Amino acid sequence: MNIESVATDLASPLINDSVVLKQPSHYQLALKDLMSGLKKWTIWLMLAYQDVKLRYRRSILGPFWITISMAITVYSMGYLYGHLFHSNLQTYFPFLVAGMLGWSLISSQFSDLTEALTQSESLIKQIKLPYSLYIHRVAMRNVIIFFHNIIVIIPILAIYHEVAKVNFYSLMLIPGLLLIYINSISYGLVLGMLGARYRDIVQIVKSLIQVAFFLTPIMWNPILLPEKDRFIILFNPFYSFVELIRAPLLGSKPEWSIFAMVTVVTVLGIFLCMRMFSKYRARIVYWL
Amino acid sequence: MAMINLHSVSVAFPVYNLNSRSFKKYFLRMATGGKVVEDANKHVMVKALNNISLRFEHGDRVGLIGHNGSGKSTLLRLLATIYEPTAGHLTIQGHISPMLDLMPGMETELTGYENITIRGRLQGLTLQEIKQQADEIAELTGLGDYLSMPVRTYSSGMMVRLAFAISASIKPDILLIDEIFGAGDANFIEKARQKMISLLNQSSIVVLATHSDELITEFCNKALLLEAGQVKFFGDTEKALEIYHNKG
Repeated sequence: MNIESVATDLASPLINDSVVLKQPSHYQLALKDLMSGLKKWTIWLMLAYQDVKLRYRRSILGPFWITISMAITVYSMGYLYGHLFHSNLQTYFPFLVAGMLGWSLISSQFSDLTEALTQSESLIKQIKLPYSLYIHRVAMRNVIIFFHNIIVIIPILAIYHEVAKVNFYSLMLIPGLLLIYINSISYGLVLGMLGARYRDIVQIVKSLIQVAFFLTPIMWNPILLPEKDRFIILFNPFYSFVELIRAPLLGSKPEWSIFAMVTVVTVLGIFLCMRMFSKYRARIVYWL
Repeated sequence: MAMINLHSVSVAFPVYNLNSRSFKKYFLRMATGGKVVEDANKHVMVKALNNISLRFEHGDRVGLIGHNGSGKSTLLRLLATIYEPTAGHLTIQGHISPMLDLMPGMETELTGYENITIRGRLQGLTLQEIKQQADEIAELTGLGDYLSMPVRTYSSGMMVRLAFAISASIKPDILLIDEIFGAGDANFIEKARQKMISLLNQSSIVVLATHSDELITEFCNKALLLEAGQVKFFGDTEKALEIYHNKG
């Protein structure tokens, strides 16, 4: 723990009788937290990796249970819903699998990040580390899990190679993930704080995610939606974020409207995060 | 040179989840000794520390005494920069190592060695420093081959040994200790004691919260008596202990 920096952090004007130095603003302190959170990447990477490893510590297949359970879910869903909707499996199966991969990342970020600070309570109260570090830990954990999950797309790419292709657009996965990560941190901090302050938020977020799953075209194709109801997906940020993953996985060209939506959401998130984090950062520990 | 300066520092906690207001006021006053007030939003606030001005300098070995809930742990957490003052200013110069609560952060599924690495990293050691000190830490725990076993197989005494050894491996300027003596068997207590003494001697400032008069007189050259979140006395250890006991 580098206390030299914390010293200036915390506070404070050196009160030597009458000399009062300029005190860093809440905004500066929040920014400092975010910066040192980034700098300590080795620590949160270690913790995130540890989290994944721990969950499967005593099982033979270890973290590959993540892949297996994902595979079972998406393949059986793809088969069942493909028949239920009478859709062409050739197009439906890859669409669903890629969509589910995107959705599982985004939804787990949402629900886990709301609990990120409350679950780290004992550490927060024991060792001074930047709050953003705990957000990175959870966000990174979910990204690691995503990379385990992504393996289930490989058989799809092999079997349905006419629909799901690996091409130039596949590279868009990288900026897509990066955008999701940035939003995970900014919204994660906001949700984490809300979750710490109001313990009901976790339940609310979890049930909202359930609803969002059905409102977002993951199981159903957006083309099925009549023209007049298109607004359901047009104004649905989940759709845009799922598309950030789904389009590159299928090797298709993402629509520009997606990026417009993502940009708006990202800017809003960063703004919201800085506002709230500046204002309430110092209070977080008292909420836990 | 390490230095701690508190300038009229207050820490007030909001307390949520309490429904019956009249009872809780009564209860909190009884249990915490802190002053219970309401803020503008009608949240109940506990003033755990109230308008404290202090200065600790190089060479200070401060014993922190006071009844349960007098603010000892809050003050330690404040000095560890975990709590930020809700009013006033806190200035700290020097590297801090808090030894507040040893157990949390232990992963019971992981082995002793893995825990040494994780805890070491969390407390700001680099991987290299941990490698260099791993043998020393292992030696201090006295756990031998158990260190390669998952911590869940340990007895509680063994866990304390491990946790203590990790925390004690950090060489801080400012050492904050919250009642951690007295765990483990006689052999370990002796070892821990020696390690503690060497730690105390290496640190520039030590703040030690304890209920043991013996420890205060043995280790400390100053004592700080807290009462209901305020400084009752700060200075000579004997005098502080006298005031503390006469009052009680």
